[in-house]
Amino acid sequence: MVTLTRTPPGGSGHGRLRRSAGRAPGGRPLRRAAAALAAVAVLVPTAVSCAVGTSILDKETLVVGVKADQPALGVKASDGRYSGFDVDVATYIAGRLGKPVRFVTAPSAQREKMIKNGTVDLVVASYSITAERKTKVAFGGPYYVAHQDTLVRSGESGVSNVRDLRGRKLCQVTGSNSWKRVKEERKIPVDLVPAASYSECVEDLRSGKVDAVSTDDLILTGFATSGTKIVNAPFSDERYGIGIRTGDVDGCEAVNKAITEMYQDGTAKKLLQKWFARSGLALTFTVPQFEGCAEAASAEAE
Amino acid sequence: MTLPAPASAPAAPPAPGSAPAGPVPGQPGGAVVPAAGPGAGPVPVRRALRVRTVPGWIRLLAGLAVAAVLLVFAAVGLAVGHAREGLRVIGHTAGPQVVTTADLYFALSDMDAQVAALLLTGRESGLGPGRQTMLDRYDERRSQADRAVLQAADLAGGDASAQATVQAVLDGLGRYERLAARALLLDERSGHPAGPPPQAVLDVYRQATDLMRLDLLPKAYNLTLDSGTIVRRAYLAELSSVQQGRLWVGVAGGLALAVLITLQVFLSRRFRRTLNLPALAATVVVAALTVAAAVVLQHESNVLRDAKEDGFNSVLALSRARAIGNTLHGDESRYLLDPQRADTYEQVYLDKSQAVLYVEAGNLDKYYAALDQRISGNKIDFLGLFGTEAAGGLSLPGQFPAFRSVLTGYQEFQRSDRRLRQLATSGARRAAVSEAMGPAFASYDDALVKLTALHRKALDAAVRDGDAALGGWNWLPPAAALAAILLVLVGVRPRLAEYR
Repeated sequence: MVTLTRTPPGGSGHGRLRRSAGRAPGGRPLRRAAAALAAVAVLVPTAVSCAVGTSILDKETLVVGVKADQPALGVKASDGRYSGFDVDVATYIAGRLGKPVRFVTAPSAQREKMIKNGTVDLVVASYSITAERKTKVAFGGPYYVAHQDTLVRSGESGVSNVRDLRGRKLCQVTGSNSWKRVKEERKIPVDLVPAASYSECVEDLRSGKVDAVSTDDLILTGFATSGTKIVNAPFSDERYGIGIRTGDVDGCEAVNKAITEMYQDGTAKKLLQKWFARSGLALTFTVPQFEGCAEAASAEAE
Repeated sequence: MTLPAPASAPAAPPAPGSAPAGPVPGQPGGAVVPAAGPGAGPVPVRRALRVRTVPGWIRLLAGLAVAAVLLVFAAVGLAVGHAREGLRVIGHTAGPQVVTTADLYFALSDMDAQVAALLLTGRESGLGPGRQTMLDRYDERRSQADRAVLQAADLAGGDASAQATVQAVLDGLGRYERLAARALLLDERSGHPAGPPPQAVLDVYRQATDLMRLDLLPKAYNLTLDSGTIVRRAYLAELSSVQQGRLWVGVAGGLALAVLITLQVFLSRRFRRTLNLPALAATVVVAALTVAAAVVLQHESNVLRDAKEDGFNSVLALSRARAIGNTLHGDESRYLLDPQRADTYEQVYLDKSQAVLYVEAGNLDKYYAALDQRISGNKIDFLGLFGTEAAGGLSLPGQFPAFRSVLTGYQEFQRSDRRLRQLATSGARRAAVSEAMGPAFASYDDALVKLTALHRKALDAAVRDGDAALGGWNWLPPAAALAAILLVLVGVRPRLAEYR
């Protein structure tokens, strides 16, 4: 910690002071002591202010990465304004931290990079907490736990479960974790067809380029319009976290506090109903189990 | 010794014999303070003397001495107060709250695990520890949870948000018990063989387990995390305050000594006495107080650091690992119990396993393999909650073997999990249920409890040590300050009396 490394100069100053006081029993010890005292007084506040480091709590404005093309979660309108559940959550949290907020688009493949290089302070973009991502960034929250499900064309009758995707063409969004849950975790042999975003996936589903889109139910409900249907066989817990730089424990803890308050004051319930009540999803209105802020060994060492 | 009279004392002759070997020995008076430089020092003193009488000087110096002693007293009091506050938070409020809420989590999680196990065994009696034992254990966990809730409410103190959370857990616990009792009753009536119960039972159990896993357990876990946050903040703030306080004690002490020595010198010269004994005693008292305070504050800094780094951090990480580990065990039963949700329970199982001990693996099979490889090799360099423990340096006596047995216990538990899932997918349901109720989890959990106890001991010992070192520091600083002030007053009173 910076406070600790700052102490030695202060400590030696204290030693010097006592020596000079002992050496001058005649006329001027008071003035010297006063000078030393003043020097220490100048030193001490600097030591305190240096302890803070770079945290989102020191920022004037919070720059938050959200999705631009995910209905009900994060959508960028033609006038440049963002809306959606993620946007509302980010706005609430920034409000709790007492800071104005500015949104930028954070595509799935860019999220870790944007946090690491400081382009954004936080990412609130249907960003599942996974063990692998935790090796690169830290997570506040989760602020919601979604479940992965599968979207197929309305006429499809052969898919009632994720295992029925065997041998079919599945959309793969770069940087998203969802296809891994099917192909790697569940070990279901699917043909992956890459796409840049889930809106592109849904286009591909309609046009027949892919047979299924598998990702979080909250994302799918936004896309489930005429011509497609959700299979309704969830097979994972997707813990939506708030991406933050590894090591910003103060910021992460403040985010968690804000999320707790969001559930305690009823805002979470209001927002979930506002965006997802019509979808018919079973929503959870109680605060999720947090990931915890300072557990990675690297974060402790900072 | 008699100090030579300064140049400002008109009657004093130059005293060559007693003049120290300063830089300019021949110059009268100015050589008293070698470091002060000849001539420059006494000028303001001389000017001040013209406007001040001797009793005026005595009063001024005595007043300054009293003020400086009060400053020392204030600095010591503040710094000791910060040390006490740090110990209070780590050792007596938020620290114990971590343990209590982790116990709460464990009891709650194990209640649900026992219900799942009971539903899974159905009418068969030869599986695992047996139906009655599981029912007894459920009851035991329930009363344990009740006790932990009460304790958590007590420790939450004036924190309104924490109080509300504890209250919500208490309310939810009642609802859970009703749902669990209904599921168990329906299950008993159905009399099914080992494996998934009828849908009607499952529907009720889903309500119960969702309430537990989505509502109650997160609240308990977040309370543990909150306490961790409180301790971390308090530690950083109080440690830095104690260290700064130590600095201020030094500054104030030096100042007080300087004033007292000045007073001593002035009295000796003015009244041609050898030494003013009360003033000397006051000087000794102030010096002793300053040194003792500096020493005790250094000690307290070390104690705070030991308590946090060797005790608390590990207790927190291991308590969380235990909480998550217990839900891992429950997830095994639930995986077997509820085929429709089996995929989710398996994914959650992998996710939590990686939170406990992270090795890169895209699915459970790869996780088992990577884990075996990592634990069999002697390197301890992984992430996750056990990584946090390993990063602490494993410096406590007995910590290394205890940690090793936790790791091998964890490895055995994961091996048993692998067998369980293989049996389940090959259709050997009864054998899978029997594997889930095997001893692997209990022996892993025991090893974890032992390791945690080691850190709790270190934490408690550090806090006790810190408290003990501060024993007496309630009365010592005011008593010493009062004594020093009285001694100063006693010392100057007869001199002032000479001018009445």
